[in-house]
Amino acid sequence: MEERESRVQRQRAAAVPYLLLLPALLALAAISLYPTVDGVLASLHRYRYGLDMGFTGGDNFAAVYIDPVFWKAIGTTTWFVILAVAIETLLGLLLALVVARELRFSGLIRVTLILPMTIAPVVVGVIWRLLYASDIGVVNPLFELFGFEAPNVLAHPLTAFLGLIAVDVWEWTPLLFLIILAGLHSLPQDPIEAARVDGASAIQAFFHHTLPLLRPVLLVAVVLRTIDAVGTFDQIYVLTKGGPGTATQLISIYAYNTAFLFNQYGRAMAMLIGLLACLLLLMAAAVHFMRRSSEIVE
Amino acid sequence: MNDKNKDTNKLLKRPLRRRELIKGGLAGTALIAGSGIFAPRIIRAAGGSITIGSFQDNAMAPFRDYFVKQFASETGIAVNYNETNYDSWYQSCKNDGLNKTGAYDIYVMDDNWVPEFAAGHIVKSLDQLGFKVNADILPKGLEMGLWPPKTGARMKDFASAKPELYSIVIIDDVEILYYHADHFPTVPETWDDISKVAQTTKAPDMYGWSPRGVKGNPIMMTYLPLLNSYGGNFVNEDWTPGFAGPEGVGALSRLFSFIPYMPAGVAEYDTDQEVQLMLEGKCTALTEYTGFAQRVDDPASSKVVGKIKMATTPKQAKHGPAIGTFIASVSSGSKNPEGAVQFLEWFTSSKVQLEFARKYGGAAVTGSALTDAEAVQKHRWLPAIAEAVNTSVQKPRTPDEPKMEDILGTALNEALVEAIATKSNYDAIAQKHLQTAAGQITDYLKQQGGYF
Repeated sequence: MEERESRVQRQRAAAVPYLLLLPALLALAAISLYPTVDGVLASLHRYRYGLDMGFTGGDNFAAVYIDPVFWKAIGTTTWFVILAVAIETLLGLLLALVVARELRFSGLIRVTLILPMTIAPVVVGVIWRLLYASDIGVVNPLFELFGFEAPNVLAHPLTAFLGLIAVDVWEWTPLLFLIILAGLHSLPQDPIEAARVDGASAIQAFFHHTLPLLRPVLLVAVVLRTIDAVGTFDQIYVLTKGGPGTATQLISIYAYNTAFLFNQYGRAMAMLIGLLACLLLLMAAAVHFMRRSSEIVE
Repeated sequence: MNDKNKDTNKLLKRPLRRRELIKGGLAGTALIAGSGIFAPRIIRAAGGSITIGSFQDNAMAPFRDYFVKQFASETGIAVNYNETNYDSWYQSCKNDGLNKTGAYDIYVMDDNWVPEFAAGHIVKSLDQLGFKVNADILPKGLEMGLWPPKTGARMKDFASAKPELYSIVIIDDVEILYYHADHFPTVPETWDDISKVAQTTKAPDMYGWSPRGVKGNPIMMTYLPLLNSYGGNFVNEDWTPGFAGPEGVGALSRLFSFIPYMPAGVAEYDTDQEVQLMLEGKCTALTEYTGFAQRVDDPASSKVVGKIKMATTPKQAKHGPAIGTFIASVSSGSKNPEGAVQFLEWFTSSKVQLEFARKYGGAAVTGSALTDAEAVQKHRWLPAIAEAVNTSVQKPRTPDEPKMEDILGTALNEALVEAIATKSNYDAIAQKHLQTAAGQITDYLKQQGGYF
């Protein structure tokens, strides 16, 4: 009898963690799993006049595959992500190295650097639209002040694209800075100090000890930022709406327009499912690489 | 079976259609039994409340702040009014109508939503609800609420269907010409007149033309009055693009001819920048929708009070302003369609429209209001609105119009950027980009099915 009671008690105790996890799992299913499944189903259906016209198999994927605007958007997104994340990582690393030395104004620098990240992306878009504006902005007069021709940043494909990268760098470098700074503070100091005692210069110590030790942190930061950068929407929507032409049309903007402006919900979902698959592969590769590099460091 | 036939069959077989027929039959029986005549008089016995949803727009302020209350006090029908931003409202009312939640009785819409909302039964047919059309409403504005369209290209699914009124125009928004009277001693009639004055201006102190150049809808609104006036079409009756020929090229080359007299950054100009130049007195002419008329005499925002005059957009072969009305429909799930119809009949009546024009200078939908002597004396732009509506050209009536507009609007923006950079070979640039857009639009329509 006692043995049975204790078994029941053990079973109950074992069930408690699962019960505690249940609300979180339900929330996750509702806000993450359901939209994903719904999106996958929608990508297999044709929509017309706002109505679901039924199952169409892979028609939406085929239409996306032959859509040149989609591939142009993928190309633009790829360049945007590569350039923005690379610059943000480099700047974030440099700033973190400076602030980690605990100079006199480190606290102030830290707070100042974090500020752009705290502003809502749509507000960031409005601020920079005013700065870039060819009529009332401050960028044109600044160029003219130094004897250059006014660039009219948002009126030319290349400058508009570079202008958007500048906005992204301004807003998101602080995130990379914070992650890398935390990583720097957590690094074991013994190997670095030992190297310095053995006569290594600061640069040698950085490249041979600090950077290899920091690599897992950098990878996490880059992966997180890459995922986020692929979905960049608000700033671009406010600043250029993807123009001039299609110069700044990221896949997020094109998919949004396809779903909500062109009423091609199924096709938009097909685009995003394809993109999700590519991102998952990229992330799997990154995680694999991270694990390997951690093992090497250990 | 091709896509077009599949879609047609699905539309015809939808359970919603059957329910509507049954409901319509019951309502019809009740009407006949109750009134003894065919006219739906029961509608006049409406009561309770109605809920109107709309997107935010300054032009809706008199409607929201005055007329809604006026209707409630005259009829005893309470009116709830909700508004949100344009994109959110489009999705909200579409979902509301598709799911028949009944949260709203009336949707205030953009007229290019009508094809999708009518074909998808997101809104009810006003004809079937017994809506009585005021004969004083300008025909071009009224046509915007018909599905399928009365004139112009028709989708094959609806080729033989009789046009029904699904939406009723509530604000006759249309593009008109705004010109600085100090620079134009007489009303500019043609693009040549605009060009002559432009050539006398010197940037950056004074510009001869201020367009919207942003890709998509903004630059389309700059181009369409030109295209129409040169005798071109967005699409022809058979859905082939009508802008890649000499008319379309001529229209775009004309726009490019203003480049020396336009701000250098026009490729990123939208309405706010475009009109600001005129409000600062730094621009001789532009085309814009009627809402801008309310701002030109406001000393708080204008340095040219009383100096800006209005006319219909210039012609070359003919006048051809683009029309973009505010339009209203009864939702498919409306809990009080009788009250909704009563409201829309009341608001579009000649009496209320006259008050709208006299009191607010609004783009009324009736001819009598736009030509009323008292209203015109107070608000000098009203005759220009009437003339512009009467000569207006509608955009293609199809749910795919936004995609078509995006394709052409992107090509126009690319062409403008190239023309500004090279400042020569305007015809060749126009030809290249317009032909590319024509090919892309044709390919897209073929892919969608139901056009050719």
